[in-house]
Amino acid sequence: MGATILIADDLSFMRMIQKEILMERGYTVVGEASDGIEAVNKFQTLNPDLILLDITMPNMNGLEAMRRIFSINPKARVIMCSALGQQNLIVEAIRAGVKDFIVKPFKPERILSAIEKALKAS
Amino acid sequence: MPGSAWTEDERLRRAFLEEGDELVQKLGESLSALEADPGSHDLVHEVFRLTHSLKSESALMGHASLSGLAHAMEDVLESVRGGELALAADVLEKLVAGADRLALMMGEISRGERDADSDPSDVVQDLRALIGSRRGTGDEATDGPPARGNGAGPHGGAAEGVAPAEPVFGAQEVSRLAEARERGESLFRVTVTVATDEPMKFARAFLVFNNFEQSANVIRAIPAMDGEPADDASYARTVFYLTSAPDDETLRAAARVDQIAMVETARLEFPSAGSIGRPLQEHYRADAGPIASDRGRGPGPAGPPVEKTTIRVDARRLDDLWRFVAELVLHKSHVSRLSDGVARGMDADSIREELMVSSDSLEKISSGMQQAMRDTRSIPISIIFSKFPRLVRDLSRKLGKPVDLVMSGQETEIDRSIVEALSDPLTHIIRNALDHGLEFPEERVRLGKPERGRIAVSARRQGGTIVIELADDGRGLDTERIRQKAIDLGIPDAASLGEADLRELVFRPGFSTKEVVTDLSGRGVGMDVVATRIRNDLRGTVELASETGKGTRVVLRLPFTLTIVNSLLVEDGGHLYAIPLGDLDSTSKVSAGDIVLQEQGEAGPWMEELIPLYSIGGLLGGERTPREEYFAVVLRHGASRGLLVVEELIEEREMVIRPIDDLLNTRRLFSGVSVLDDGRLVFILDTSFIRRDNF
Repeated sequence: MGATILIADDLSFMRMIQKEILMERGYTVVGEASDGIEAVNKFQTLNPDLILLDITMPNMNGLEAMRRIFSINPKARVIMCSALGQQNLIVEAIRAGVKDFIVKPFKPERILSAIEKALKAS
Repeated sequence: MPGSAWTEDERLRRAFLEEGDELVQKLGESLSALEADPGSHDLVHEVFRLTHSLKSESALMGHASLSGLAHAMEDVLESVRGGELALAADVLEKLVAGADRLALMMGEISRGERDADSDPSDVVQDLRALIGSRRGTGDEATDGPPARGNGAGPHGGAAEGVAPAEPVFGAQEVSRLAEARERGESLFRVTVTVATDEPMKFARAFLVFNNFEQSANVIRAIPAMDGEPADDASYARTVFYLTSAPDDETLRAAARVDQIAMVETARLEFPSAGSIGRPLQEHYRADAGPIASDRGRGPGPAGPPVEKTTIRVDARRLDDLWRFVAELVLHKSHVSRLSDGVARGMDADSIREELMVSSDSLEKISSGMQQAMRDTRSIPISIIFSKFPRLVRDLSRKLGKPVDLVMSGQETEIDRSIVEALSDPLTHIIRNALDHGLEFPEERVRLGKPERGRIAVSARRQGGTIVIELADDGRGLDTERIRQKAIDLGIPDAASLGEADLRELVFRPGFSTKEVVTDLSGRGVGMDVVATRIRNDLRGTVELASETGKGTRVVLRLPFTLTIVNSLLVEDGGHLYAIPLGDLDSTSKVSAGDIVLQEQGEAGPWMEELIPLYSIGGLLGGERTPREEYFAVVLRHGASRGLLVVEELIEEREMVIRPIDDLLNTRRLFSGVSVLDDGRLVFILDTSFIRRDNF
């Protein structure tokens, strides 16, 4: 069975796209979250190998969710998903320990190589 | 270890001290919390995270023993997290001992003492013993001193060409290189090329930089990685100079992130020894303030302690402030235009009208700025409260009195200026409560109280006042014993004093003696010092409430800030004086015929009694100006009252207090000065001159 991945994005079609790409490659999508709070909660209960975290989400944004996730597990593998123009947020996320980031719009090979490298890195 | 970078880099040193202090403090808090709840994974993670940060930061700063101790703690915590080691009481105890030692060492470092002086090897051994020989082989040198990119040096330059010319390293870089060489690391040049279709090149390069910081020591990045990024495209190719373990495989792994097209590494020679070891202090003079002239590499003090000279400020608060500054600039130019208009003979009506508009806006801006600045200067009181759990735990153990500490309102904000002055008195009161207020467990059980004592500390904001309450459920004040003591000491009217006055006696200097202290539920030790601090230095009030057998409650009320004080402006002998409203009871009139001469000096009537009467002239060593009738201000200082006669009462207004030179204040009559908008000087009266011998 492939690595377990949690997808957090407020847009359901985005989650769908990501899910399809991941499942095709044999990863297990263990859960989906539509806001930051849900992402943190599901991270805690599902303990996935990796989480794809959208940076702009309602209730709790991706950065805050990422911080909480790192306080749950400092070695969590987090890949941020951001839109163009969120360079500063990304730098902040990197500083806080994010493993990699993907810039929207998603390209399948981009997502997959980022995940592969993040999983390999530690 | 000789040759630490921090002696040379004051800026880095400050940053380290500030952050280190915070980390040590948080570590203490989290460990206390963990003691209360040893099963909490969150807390274990938090403690782990804090120790890890301390380890990395101190390693970078060259504090090897501090970093070694943090490392040992981290290993223990890692075993706990991995389930190999149970978080038993002895494990916690060793961790707490480690944290204590870290705090001690941080203190030494901030005072400029070398950390070699306090060798933590005993604690480290204890910690290592917990996990046996399973772990502990980690290598400090490679285990992540995260370098701060220092960003010195010009951009570009070396990035093109087949064999790039190596940059000339600055003094601080050279010293870090020397250190790395001592640790047995090698110097590498790593060139990282980002895939051409990657939109955020800076962020991509930064990710690599960040990874390098985990495992290596980045000396320089070209283009620089800190601060505002240069043009994003210039990060298509970034050159890092860094030191790392001789094996460069970790570097390659760190650079192996997505969308990095190419990574080239080259091992370089360290810069020539000749450039290493020359005096380095020149470089940071500009932003580090005065630096002692002789700061060689030898042992000895490393300059004055730098504690709390920098502050952290929420960026949003600075934004607020900035907004006001922008408006201010706008209105300034408006006023300039008006003044030009006056010169050009603009008609009076339009000038008046525009001036009123501007004046109105300026007033809004000024009060807005005041508020914004106040917010910027404020800090949660938790910075003081957070020390209490440890204090209480340690004392509780030492004294054998189990205690529950309950705190609330830690988020209450106070002005930075009062943090230092407030910390000691609060600590003192808590110490007193534990030492003398609370009974021993056996006694408590006998009295039908819960075995564990309880101390409650709370803070809240009430208008412009901060209210801090410290309550215990101990034996309370025995006012009859205080009365007896007062009679013994020959305090006038002691036999007929009311409860409140008796309690107030506790704040008198010299009232408490050792035997009184222990007998009288101990409210005496240093309470006069507490009262002086709170009442004089902090312009606050302190009151005691107590019920025999049930406990004692100390209530402090403090003005939010010391720098702006609401005062009553008075005039006397051609000079202006201000009396802080907190020190003011009321105003009245006194006719010359009502003034009587008593043994201790003059007295005047107030509410059916005679209280000491002062005049500015008299206080300054001269005479009271003779007059038929005087305006009088009733001053209060603690429970004491005094009349101050003055020529004129002017008005109430907000005063910005500035410190006063001692030469102008030989009688310690003033707590500061203020300048009015017309340039006149106002002396702020310190009312502690009121005699305490009246009730």
